Amino acid sequence: MINPSEFLAVLHEKGISFASGVPCSYFSRLINEFENIETVRYIPATREDEAVGIASGVAFGGARAFVIMQNSGYATIGDALTSLAQLYKLPMLLIISWRGLEPDRDFPEHSLMGAVTEDALAGYQVPYWELTDEDWQQTIELALTKMNETSRPVALLVKQGVL
Amino acid sequence: MYGFEIIQALASVLSGNERIVSSNGNISRQVYHYCPQPQIYLRGSMGLPISVGLGVALARPEKQVLVILGDGNLLMGLGSLSTISYIRPKNLKILVLDNNAYATTGRQKTSSEILDYPSLLDGFRIPNMKPILREDSIENVRNKIRLWLDTSNLSVLPALIDVNPPLLSNIPLHPEQITDLIRASND
Repeated sequence: MINPSEFLAVLHEKGISFASGVPCSYFSRLINEFENIETVRYIPATREDEAVGIASGVAFGGARAFVIMQNSGYATIGDALTSLAQLYKLPMLLIISWRGLEPDRDFPEHSLMGAVTEDALAGYQVPYWELTDEDWQQTIELALTKMNETSRPVALLVKQGVL
Repeated sequence: MYGFEIIQALASVLSGNERIVSSNGNISRQVYHYCPQPQIYLRGSMGLPISVGLGVALARPEKQVLVILGDGNLLMGLGSLSTISYIRPKNLKILVLDNNAYATTGRQKTSSEILDYPSLLDGFRIPNMKPILREDSIENVRNKIRLWLDTSNLSVLPALIDVNPPLLSNIPLHPEQITDLIRASND
């Protein structure tokens, strides 16, 4: 598993000073880590589109945020992406748990979204990478380079047990 | 009292250190036409002006961030009241122009007539000002706006108003240009 404190340190080093989102059990260690640090401020949102709104405001203000959500939450942010973050060229890193795969076989509420997650990202023209234990720093580098080049949201997909 | 009159009254008392976030439709058009430029004119993302304002307020603590939105927008993003009350940025102020209608799409009624703003905002523990009322004089409105701007905390000013949006041309800027102008004025 990726060390959450190291993960946040790398993101902060790359210019990210805020985070928002709605939790997933996959991110519980990461969210707990916000209690121990002051470099990245976490704002708990009531909905995932609200979190994208907050990250958009942060970007308007000249800072950077990342947004955490389940892929079920990705299904709620279509308008926040297309008519705000993408339209106004507001960069942000979306960190999305990839629910609905094999470990979630007893959670049918995630099945369909799990199957269409990549299509949904591609459909909304959001560049994405799978985050893995092995080369996570390189993946973050690729994602943030793309985010800065395009000045638009990019996403990381995270399976169980990675973060 | 109409929404555009309140935006005009606001424009007359701004200090220049404000950053306005305006909601999609008529309100963004009115802010574009009546207030100093540039501001963050939202074209879409209904329900999100308060969350955008929160993000700006956190990233730019030296700016006074004013969110102007209608009742339709407020109701769509009501959860953001809980978030801003929890975070409580001192430099965030919200003006709700409640005309009880989706005025931009043809004055269809919203359900906002059931809202009691002082109770609603007290329930969220958000400091709130005495609402602007339909029968208030423009001088009275200006005074209520001044009091709201002078508070040193998060604060909401509700305004109960009539529907009569003036016909204004669309904002002639592409959203990418709006972002460029905001970034340039951040420096």
